[in-house]
Amino acid sequence: MIYSAWLRQLHSLTIVIFTFIISAQTDVPRPRGVSLSKASLYSPTKDFTCFDGTSTIPFSYVNDDYCDCFDGSDEPGTAACLNGVFHCTNAGHRPQNIPSSRVNDGICDCCDGTDEYSTPGTCSNICEELGKEARAKAQQLADLHKAGNHIRLELIEKGNKKRSEMAEQLSQLEKDKTEAEKIKIEKEAIKNELEAKENEALKVYRDAEEKDRQRRAELARQQEEKEASEQFARFDSNSDGILTTDEIKVVNVFDKNKDGEVDQDEILHFFGDKDSVNKEDFMSTTWPILKPLLMADQGMFRPAGDEEKGEETEADEEEDAQRVEDTEDLGGDDENIDDAPHEETDEHDVDPDNARTYDDETQKLIDEATEARRQLTDSERTIREIDSNIRTFQQNLEKDYGLQQEYATLDGQCLEYEDKEYIYKLCLFQKVTQKSKNGGMEVGLGDWGEWAGEEGKKYSVMKYTNGIACWNGPNRMTTVHINCGLESKLTSVTEPFRCEYKIELTTPAACDDSNLSQQTSHDEL
Amino acid sequence: MKALGLLLIAALGLNGSLGVDRNNFKTCDQSGFCKRLRGLKPEKSQYALNVDSVFVHGNVLSAEVVTVDYEGETKNVLWRYALRLSALADSSFRVEMDEADPLYPRYRTQIALEGEPKADGIKLVSNENGKLTLANNQGHRVVITTEPLKIEFVDHSGEVSVVLNENSQLLVEPLRARRERRDDDDEQGNAVEVEEEGTWGENFKGHHDSKPRGNEAVSLDVSFPGANHVYGIPEHTDNFFLKTTTSSEPYRLYNLDVFEYELDSPMAIYGAVPVLYSHSAKRSAGVFWHNSAETWVDIVNYSEGNVVSSLVNFVTGGQKQRVDARFMSESGIVDIFVLMGDRPADVFRQYTALTGVAPIPPKFSLAYHQSRWNYNDENDLRSVDEGFDEHDIPADTLWLDIEYTDKKKYFTWDVEKFRHPAEMVANLTAKGRKLVVIIDPHIKREAGYFVHEDCTERGYYVKNKDGNDYEGWCWPGSSSYPDFFNPEVTKYYVERYKFENFPGTSKDVHIWNDMNEPSVFNGPEITMPKDCRHWKPPQDGQDGLAAYWEHRHVHNEYGQWYIQATHQGMLARTDGKYRPFILTRSTFAGTQRYAAVWTGDNAAEWGFLQASVPMCISLAAAGISFCGSDVGGFFKYPEAELMTRWYQAGAYQAFFRAHSHIETKRREPWLYDATTTSRIRDAVRRRYALLDFWYTLFYEHMVDGLPVTRPLFQEFPKEEATFTIDNQYLLGDKLLIRPVLEQGVSSVKVYLPGKEASTLWYDVDSYQAVAANGWMNLDVTITKIPVYQRGGTIVPRKERIRRASSLMANDPYTLVVALDSNNTAHGTIYIDDGETFDYRTNKYIYASFHYEPAGMTYKFKNVDANYPTRSWVERIVIAGIKNAPKAARLVQGGKTTPLQMTLHRGNDVLVIRKPGASMAKPWEIQFTY
Repeated sequence: MIYSAWLRQLHSLTIVIFTFIISAQTDVPRPRGVSLSKASLYSPTKDFTCFDGTSTIPFSYVNDDYCDCFDGSDEPGTAACLNGVFHCTNAGHRPQNIPSSRVNDGICDCCDGTDEYSTPGTCSNICEELGKEARAKAQQLADLHKAGNHIRLELIEKGNKKRSEMAEQLSQLEKDKTEAEKIKIEKEAIKNELEAKENEALKVYRDAEEKDRQRRAELARQQEEKEASEQFARFDSNSDGILTTDEIKVVNVFDKNKDGEVDQDEILHFFGDKDSVNKEDFMSTTWPILKPLLMADQGMFRPAGDEEKGEETEADEEEDAQRVEDTEDLGGDDENIDDAPHEETDEHDVDPDNARTYDDETQKLIDEATEARRQLTDSERTIREIDSNIRTFQQNLEKDYGLQQEYATLDGQCLEYEDKEYIYKLCLFQKVTQKSKNGGMEVGLGDWGEWAGEEGKKYSVMKYTNGIACWNGPNRMTTVHINCGLESKLTSVTEPFRCEYKIELTTPAACDDSNLSQQTSHDEL
Repeated sequence: MKALGLLLIAALGLNGSLGVDRNNFKTCDQSGFCKRLRGLKPEKSQYALNVDSVFVHGNVLSAEVVTVDYEGETKNVLWRYALRLSALADSSFRVEMDEADPLYPRYRTQIALEGEPKADGIKLVSNENGKLTLANNQGHRVVITTEPLKIEFVDHSGEVSVVLNENSQLLVEPLRARRERRDDDDEQGNAVEVEEEGTWGENFKGHHDSKPRGNEAVSLDVSFPGANHVYGIPEHTDNFFLKTTTSSEPYRLYNLDVFEYELDSPMAIYGAVPVLYSHSAKRSAGVFWHNSAETWVDIVNYSEGNVVSSLVNFVTGGQKQRVDARFMSESGIVDIFVLMGDRPADVFRQYTALTGVAPIPPKFSLAYHQSRWNYNDENDLRSVDEGFDEHDIPADTLWLDIEYTDKKKYFTWDVEKFRHPAEMVANLTAKGRKLVVIIDPHIKREAGYFVHEDCTERGYYVKNKDGNDYEGWCWPGSSSYPDFFNPEVTKYYVERYKFENFPGTSKDVHIWNDMNEPSVFNGPEITMPKDCRHWKPPQDGQDGLAAYWEHRHVHNEYGQWYIQATHQGMLARTDGKYRPFILTRSTFAGTQRYAAVWTGDNAAEWGFLQASVPMCISLAAAGISFCGSDVGGFFKYPEAELMTRWYQAGAYQAFFRAHSHIETKRREPWLYDATTTSRIRDAVRRRYALLDFWYTLFYEHMVDGLPVTRPLFQEFPKEEATFTIDNQYLLGDKLLIRPVLEQGVSSVKVYLPGKEASTLWYDVDSYQAVAANGWMNLDVTITKIPVYQRGGTIVPRKERIRRASSLMANDPYTLVVALDSNNTAHGTIYIDDGETFDYRTNKYIYASFHYEPAGMTYKFKNVDANYPTRSWVERIVIAGIKNAPKAARLVQGGKTTPLQMTLHRGNDVLVIRKPGASMAKPWEIQFTY
């Protein structure tokens, strides 16, 4: 632990038994390292009380290169106190407060060189030079701001105009929306009416279809039974109506693992735990597992995925099944009615396949209902489009374009910056992206988030957040640091922290000659 | 820096749990010789010493040892060996056993020892009843039972402290010629000898090891009668004290780049130091297994509960304490040093007497280091540098990881990102700071890269089994590895470090050697194939297999050959004027002579913070005190509490560096909340306040060979409770550190040793004395780092913390005197220029402080040495003073000055205000009561 911190803990227990040595201080306006404003706190004729009031010491202890005060106030001019502050006047340039630990460490921290008094000659006084440079720089900056300010005023004017235009457009859109909603209600009523008629007409057809489907299913079942029965007869070599293990042992198809013999496992597989099966059992249990093998054996069987392509021999059956499915699809479309493009493709797919024809009257009703549905969809689409426009305008109007709308016209303006590997693009108030020069995808480095400058300088930093997530890291984000410049451009792009990008932007929108005078007034020249 | 695995990290996800892929690394069963030898448990050793061959001369007994076949009626000699037993200075012995006439020379590890060990004398005391008794000049005896061979080492009290071959596990597999396949084909039916599978080749995970010399393993068991603990054989992530391995894997020593290594494991990681210490309240002893091949160590500690029940009752009758260890190495000879102790400090010293000490490091290297993989460019480095000043946190060294290079070509710079390296370095040194850059052993195989072209043209690379340049995969992609066994290669490499050959570097740019296990991403176990070929001095009559060493022989030593070359290079670049600083990841016996070590690629988890303490104590006991872990953890991101605790712990570990993985969130101290930043500042400042103390400890290590960071039992060898404490340790014999390593705790258990001697321990934060009484609970806040100063010691501090340690050179000292129960205290201080070798010409101060009630003195221990320091004494804090003097005066150089004092009655602390005594000359303070 550092001694002074320890001292603080124990202060109340301290009893001082030192002997006083007071050497008279002559003609010292202020001790070394003390600023003018604090000079009055150091009076050579009085004991010195530490600024924090915890201790009073003889004035000779001030700047005697030993730390007596916890707050370091007794050693403004030495390195004795860990948390002390050394003031350099820096005549000709800006005054400075540096940590005491930088006093007499061999490094020139103050431009007047006063921090290195223990080894005279270490530092020369370069304040005049620096001051001159700084003033020239300040003047340059002031000139820049002044020049830029004209453009900024134009930007403000345009920005305000743009906003009022947007407000007008927004109210127009709101009117359009009211109109469009009325139309939609009308269209909906027409559609409902026509659909009711259409349904009635179609009912006849749907009933017929159902009957047809049932008939075909029955046919298929009979076909299956017939086939099973034929096969049973084939395997039942002694035609006693019972299929025994001996009988199937000679039939290749029962050799499931194709090892040349029908073994016990295979018998178990087909017969369960029985020695034999009668025709009935064969139909219900053995046949369903045997059939695929039989088909595979005959080269007819295809894995499930290929099934719908159908087989020549089974063509009728397959086609029927296909048709049933299609009809169901058509019925289901009602649920997807909002999904206009999908609906269209479905209809398109179905129509040529669907050989069904309706009588003229029914067809006419269908056509009318379809047209009514289309019109309703159109009217709904119009409303959606207007809504989307309204939202965009509202968002833009809500955006903070600066105190005087000076950034409003920059919205959507895109600026690029190239380094060795990447092209960066900043679209103001929209997003930041990065694209490798070697090709590849554009990577989002963040979408417009907010102004994020420090207190009083809110409009000096923009934050774009929620970019593409980094490889095992956070989402990318970008801060844009804005300075005054005669044109809007990017002057640098870096990635100081992983996935956190920093862009330097200059723009006349940031030029303001009104607050410059404040900056310079701090200087103690 | 890092293990292989950007891609792996991607796959695992940085927030997921980390874990080693064990499949990449061999178990004992997958390592041919380990499986072969571990299963071998003969009831009786086949080895016997031929008494007629005994010859004693100087400090050496030499004799023939034979293996004998006891199966038949008559004893048949199977094979002949040459045994040497040497008596060495400082209570040590060496036992070597090689084949008497090997088919080819067997490898003898080359650079573990610092020169030839110093000889003692030996004489044969008696030779009767099949027992030879020998004595050295220091009162130790060695009893050799000739048949079966057993060697017992007897300590001063007449008790056996170390036994070799007690368990009959001595083994040297004789080299054999491979039977030509053609012969086999011709007389297949007649082939009598059946070769064991794997003799002439082994496979692991798709890698084939051709084993051209067949089996050549060696093994030896060592017993420590009376011992109840053993320590050593780093580097592992286990406790400091070693555990019985009968039902687990043996401890493995094989330098490997283990990606996301696991904790509490006997698995091999980056380093291998085959020294083992035994300890009990009665005595300490040790052995150093001098072998650089893959090595496995089995431990049986009979005092462990579960072992007692199964084994010890049978072996020792259930009462005795004993630890058995068994070393198994894939190749080499049996070469073992026996360290007789008999205190812990003795064995530690005896070990460094053999393998050397760490020369005092440049002072900056003991201060704080800031690293990251990677600081992106010059501007980034500058802003980090400035960040430390802005936030008033001291820092001495900034580091650049592999990305500073031009596409991982070492000795080059990325000219886009580091366009002005010299200027960048100058910016740092202007503030007293340094730079460390990484240089790895792998060389990018790229046409036009001068190092690659030179190495290719001159044949400097390690060769593959067929004699062509070996190609492996590492950071640069396809890479080769210079063969530092060839002195020409080392000479070439040394040249590379010259300032003109490595532009931008200066004496203030130091070197980090990483990946030197060596790491080979596509190699077996992520390292070099064992059948790669290394250079061997050409010798007449030695061709074919005898003309080169295989990587298997030298593996654990490779990284050390590498840092040795770097060390030479850094000395040569300033003509030997400045001390080099090197950080290495791979370690071996003797690494302390060249480099500091860090614990490799850890993770931002509490477990890794905890592991850093035993890992570094273990390395320190094995000679390598200059050890630390990546503060904050390499993988993953440490939240504020973990980061704070890690800085607090790191501030009291020898090598203090924050480092992080390229994929992790940035974490320079000021990127945390202001409170955390200020806690980190406080921790770093504590390090700087004690820097001169650390520096003095490293000087003393150079002189006495003792660890800087010590297990408690080194200073309190009779205190049983300390034997298993490895979460606290001592700095020298003066400070006790118990870092808070647990999350969210409001109190920790601290053990204060020395009750018997009425030791007092002073809390360094309050100077409050606590009488040693074993375990106690200590309340801790997040800012508390439990550190105690031992009563009876004096510790020098510097309370003016500056930007970098070099700027504090002339600053005054605060001397903290912690009184013992006799109101006395002693301490030392070492002062020099901090960076040159001028201390070798007596340009230094090594002085002692003595305090007693009558006064305090500051005297030079070596009056011939001096250094013109401008430092002075600004404050003396005397803690534990019961009877304060009324007046004090300073006497220096014939001048007497009255001094002012302040007494703090609350806790008996007397502060002498500004004595102002110069540290360049002796002084005395006299008290009157």
